[in-house]
Parts: sequence; structure tokens; C-alpha cells
Amino acid sequence: MAAARADTLQSVELADGVEIQLRVAGVAVRSMAYMIDLLIRIAIDIGMSILMFWLLSGVLGPQVTMGLFLLFIFIMEWFYNVIFEVGAKGATPGQRIFKLRVMSLTGGPVTLAQAVMRNFLRVVDFMPFFYLTGIVCMLFTKRFQRLGDLVANTVVTYVELPHVVTAQTQIQAERRAPSQVLTREEQAALLQFIERAPLWADERRLELASLAHPLTNAPGTEGLRRLCGMALWLQDPEERRPMPPPLKGAATPRS
Amino acid sequence: MRLENITVTLRPRQPWEAVDLGCAMVRRDYGRIILLWVCTVLPLWVLVCVLLRSAPVWIPLVVWWLKPLYDRVPLFFLSRAAFGERPGFAETLKQWPRLWLKNCLPALFWRRLSFIRSFALPAQMLEGLSGGAANRRIKTLAMDGGGSGLSLSYVFSKIELAAWIGLMAGTYDLLPEASQPDWSGLSSALDVENSVPRGFLWWGAACYMFIVTLIEPFYVGAGFALYLNCRTRIEGWDVEMAFRRMAARLTSGAAAMVIALLAFVGAGTSVQAQMDINPDLRRSLSELEGNIQKAQKDSAVKSDPAKAVEEVLKDPEFEIHKIKSKLWVPEFKSNKKSSHDMPSLGFLDLIGKGLFWVLVVGLTGWLVVYLVRNRHLFASRSVSKAPVRAPKVLMGMNITRESLPDDIVAAARAAWAAGDVKEALSLLYRGSLSWLVNRRRVPISDSDTEEDCLMQVIQAGERPEADYFRQLTGAWVQVAYAVLPVSDAEMGALCDQWPFIEKGGAA
Repeated sequence: MAAARADTLQSVELADGVEIQLRVAGVAVRSMAYMIDLLIRIAIDIGMSILMFWLLSGVLGPQVTMGLFLLFIFIMEWFYNVIFEVGAKGATPGQRIFKLRVMSLTGGPVTLAQAVMRNFLRVVDFMPFFYLTGIVCMLFTKRFQRLGDLVANTVVTYVELPHVVTAQTQIQAERRAPSQVLTREEQAALLQFIERAPLWADERRLELASLAHPLTNAPGTEGLRRLCGMALWLQDPEERRPMPPPLKGAATPRS
Repeated sequence: MRLENITVTLRPRQPWEAVDLGCAMVRRDYGRIILLWVCTVLPLWVLVCVLLRSAPVWIPLVVWWLKPLYDRVPLFFLSRAAFGERPGFAETLKQWPRLWLKNCLPALFWRRLSFIRSFALPAQMLEGLSGGAANRRIKTLAMDGGGSGLSLSYVFSKIELAAWIGLMAGTYDLLPEASQPDWSGLSSALDVENSVPRGFLWWGAACYMFIVTLIEPFYVGAGFALYLNCRTRIEGWDVEMAFRRMAARLTSGAAAMVIALLAFVGAGTSVQAQMDINPDLRRSLSELEGNIQKAQKDSAVKSDPAKAVEEVLKDPEFEIHKIKSKLWVPEFKSNKKSSHDMPSLGFLDLIGKGLFWVLVVGLTGWLVVYLVRNRHLFASRSVSKAPVRAPKVLMGMNITRESLPDDIVAAARAAWAAGDVKEALSLLYRGSLSWLVNRRRVPISDSDTEEDCLMQVIQAGERPEADYFRQLTGAWVQVAYAVLPVSDAEMGALCDQWPFIEKGGAA
């Protein structure tokens, strides 16, 4: 084996020997999310400055208002990310737009301490300017972590989206059990085949079906039909028939 | 290209995830890619610098403009490495001129500003398409209309710019003062050539080249991964690989079964006879025999258990993960010198101890006093468990033994004879109650009425006593409350049947 396969799924072994896989997100999408957050922060800051100087400066005087405004900016800069990351979604608005969330390396939500640590260390990642340290760090670590992530043991991952079937077509194939016992990977491949086959050209479908000849034992269209039938069987091995009415006098099963 | 040897995990991904995959691919081989980069790109940059030595302000622009050329060698390497044949250094360098010359004019001129440059590059370079055919192919591949390729270019240009500025800002203070521009004068004079020191321009160009070296391979890799992802989605490469593996497994299993079958019946003459007739079968059978021998040889090699164990333990599943961390414990030295400088505060310790003991004694004393004062709280609880104390007064009547005459019946008869009906019956009633409460321990409390008393007596058992008591109560209520006469016979019966006498003697 030459080298481990490059993959974006990163497996993490937990203390009890369980291995979980994280869909870690890299520098590109995270920088996009950061840009959105930056714009949101700037917009809020500008809006707040207008509001404060309009409403408060008459009451409190311009200097006190300035002080309060600086305090507000301080809180925004240091706690904007912390508050959102500790929240229920575990993501800032920018991250939610890109379907990201911050996680602990163990797959759980981040604790307050972790969120504070990873966001306060932005100062280090920002050095010398414009996140150069963070960018280099994310490019060269296995789980795309910047320094703050490395210290706080966190990762940014993609949110698991609900499964969406892209195309639905009627398949004219008879449901049949596979002729051989299939491994899990092979079953998954068959299911992927039936799910994504509508996206492919006819020739490609036949080509793929012919690769599965040892399973179908039939060439060409017949092989494709059998393959689809097996995939349908895997999707739902029991044919759904309407339940026959219960016999009169038969004991009703206890629920 | 053989899909079986692929060194990248393919599965249909989101575009951003594909970009991440590209970054992971580049990171895996970053050392070799940078080596190739230095060998191919650096000479070009040296040439550019020499040519533009009089106007270094243009160097970053030219370096940026020539980017499509740099991308090709890393892409060649990455595409080969993705399919399991990592090209050697010499082999890649041999390909270098061909890679740079292919399609180079369109790439450097009218395609230079294409926003999906890195996504389109694999289609042009690896599929060998050009012109309209390439355009159509790219349109087919980009299912989202090239949106992901566009955002990819945007993101990486942004990252490059940020990193460039970051690097310049980080190293600015290292510049000699003569090379640092006079920022206050810069705003007034737009003549960059003369107002900015040349050292600053050269340094800016060098920073840019460094950053391009750092970032550009990732951009190429990300574009290539996007391309792979699109083909995976359109052509189902992951499914194809899984089917190929399945076919290999199933056919090898079938072959093994045939071998076993033939070995089983190999001695049988019928097969022998058929073999003579059918040359095809003979050939296949001899092939199979060769396979069996080979397999046996293999298994002989593998049969060494120590080796087998070693091989199994090499699997990634048996890797032991360890996290080592160092704990830094600061050394605290008791610094006695400084305490000598302070005035002695030993008396404070004495006073504190004294206060403490005073407090302890005071608290203990207070607790004792409190407990003693409130002892009824604890006593009342224990009373509830003790037997019910017999009441001394019931319904306004004294029922103690002392308040009654010794011979109750005789006293009652005497009162009856004297004509005092109420006194007579009251004597009997009080006497019976006294007996029941004090001797029989019937649970009568001092708030009970006649009715309650009767109920309690009936419940207490002792049938004859209860019957008598009922009669007596009836007569007593009749006399005391209704003021109705009681006959002589009834009174006589009550006196005669008097049951409350101690056995063996008159009460």
C-alpha cells in the first residue's frame, strides 16, 4: 500500500475505542463563512453607532456615548463567535449559510471553555496580518484546524444534511433477492447505483451493469434490469402487500 | 488510467467538500510538488526579474499573468498520483516542455481571465481538448453552471491577497529604513515609480512569489478535485469501483469453487475421459492446476504464523493512538527572607486561636441551653408512643377510683331506696366507666361522649360487659337527659348483674 487514500472524512478514535468520522471543512469554505460574518459584524457596528449617537448622545453627552460604543464594539469583536458557537446551532450566521458548525473533536458540541479558547486565539491566528498564520495552519493540518482549533480541540464540520433523492423515475424491474451474499460496501454500491442511475446516460448505465455481470449473470439490458431489481430488493426486501383482514375468531395479538 | 488504483476516496461530494479534498491531496504530496515547482517555475521567475530589473513594480503583475503555466506541472503530478502512479522527478521534467507548450497561447491570452481556470484546466490538459470541444465538455461537467469553479477562484484569489498583505505586514519591520516608503508623501504623489523605494518594490515582488508558491498548488489541486467530483457524479466512478471490486471477489470465489470441485472429482475417470475428448477443457484444467500450485506456494509462504501475525498487526486498525502531553508544574520556593522583613505578627495567631476557642465554647453552651429549654419538643413526641393515659374526668363526671364508694352497688341501692334515681344511676355509670378505663384499659379519651364510650367498649370486646354497659348507658341517658323514670325492676337488674367485680372477691 503506497499511501493512505486522501479523504475529507477524518476518523477520530474516542476513548472507549469507538471510531467516529467527521466531515471536516477546509480553509476555502471557512474563509467564505468568515467573510459573511465580518460583513454582518460591520453592518451591526455601523447600525449601532448611528443608533447610539442619534438617541444617546443628547442624553449622555458625546464622550460617554463614545465610550459605550467602544464597549459595544469590544463585545462584538470578542464574543460574537463565542455566543453563536455555544448556542444551539453551534455556528455563526456565516457558518450556517455554508452549512457548517463547530464541533469538539469528540463529535459533541463545543463547551463554553472551548469556544472562548478558540476564538480568543484568533489574535494569534490573525498574526502577522489577515490570518496568515491561520491560513497556513489550516492548509497543512490533517483536520484543517487553525491554531485556536488545535488548542481547544475543535474542528469545523459540515452539517449532515437530510438525505435528498435528486431524481425519481419509475423503474421497470422485478424485485429480486441478490444471487449472492453481498458485503455492506457492495450493498451500498447497489443502492447508490439505483439512486443515481437517473442522472447517467443510458450507455453508462449499461456499462456499469455489465461490470456487475458475475452478480447478474445476464448481459446487456437484461443484466441492468436484474441489477435494478436487486437494488430495489435491498431498498425494501419485503414487498408491501395490503394486509389480509384478520380471521374471524382468531385471537388478536396483543399490541 | 486505472480506476482500481485510485488513491483518493471518491464519493459524490458537495463542491466545497471537493475543494477540501483537493487541499488534502496537495498536502499529501506537498514536498514533491514544491520541488517540481522550484525546478520549473523558478527559472521563469528569474528570467522575468532579469528582464524587468529596471521596473520591478511590474513583476507581480507579470508573475500573476503567467500563472496558467505554473499550474500544469503540479496538475500532471497530481493526476498521476491520484491514480496510483506517482511519476518520478526525471519523468515529470521530461514532460515539462510538452505540458507548457500545449494550449499555451489561449491560456495566456484570451482564456487568462476565465473565472473557472483551475476547474477547466483538467479538461483541457488531461482530456486533450481545445477550443469549442473543450468549452462544450466543461459545460457538461459543470452541472451547476461553473458556480463552484467560480467561487473557488474567488476564494483562492482572496486568500492569496490576504496572505500577501499579511506577509508584507509581518516582514515590513525587517526592511532597511531606506527601503521603507514615506507613507505621508505617498498620498500626495501618485508617481509610484519614483516615490517608492526600489527595495520596497523588489521585496513586495518577492513576497508575492513566495505566497504564489505557497497557495497556487492548493488552487490547482482544488480545481482538479472539483473536476474529479463532477466526473464522479456524472459517471458514477465510485459505483464503478465498487462493482469492479465486487466482480473480482465473486469471480475469485467462483474459481475457488471450481478448483475444489475438480480436485474432488479429479481422480474420477469420467472427467479424464471427457478431457481426452475436449481439448478446451484440458487446457482450462491445466491452467487451473497451475493456479492451484501457485496458490499452494503462496500459502506456504504465508503459513509462517509469526509473519502472518506481523502482517495483520500492520493494519491501520491495530495502530495504537497515544496522546502525550507535558504538564508544567512551576517550582514554588518558600521565600523566607521576605517574611523576616515583615514585623512579627505572631500575636495575631494567638488572638485568632483564643477567639476560636471562645466561639466553640460559646456555641456549645448555647446549644445545650437551647436543647434543655425546648426539651418538650422532644418529650411530646415520645408521649405519643406511650399508652393512652386514662382520663380522670369524663363528661363532667369524676371517675377516679378514689371519688367512688368502695361498694358501688350497695351505695346505688341505698340512693335508689332514698329515691334519688339520678344519684343511683350516676354511681353505677361512673363506677363502670372507672372500671373500664382503669382496669380494662379501654381507650376512652376525656372528650368522648356517652355514645363514643359505648362504641369503644363494644369494640374492646368482653361481650357480657359490653351488653351490660349498653343497658346502663341507655338507662343513664334516659334519666340524666330525658328525665324519664326508670322502673324498679330495671334498676334491680342493673344492680344484680353488676359485672365489674374483681374475680374472687367483692370490689
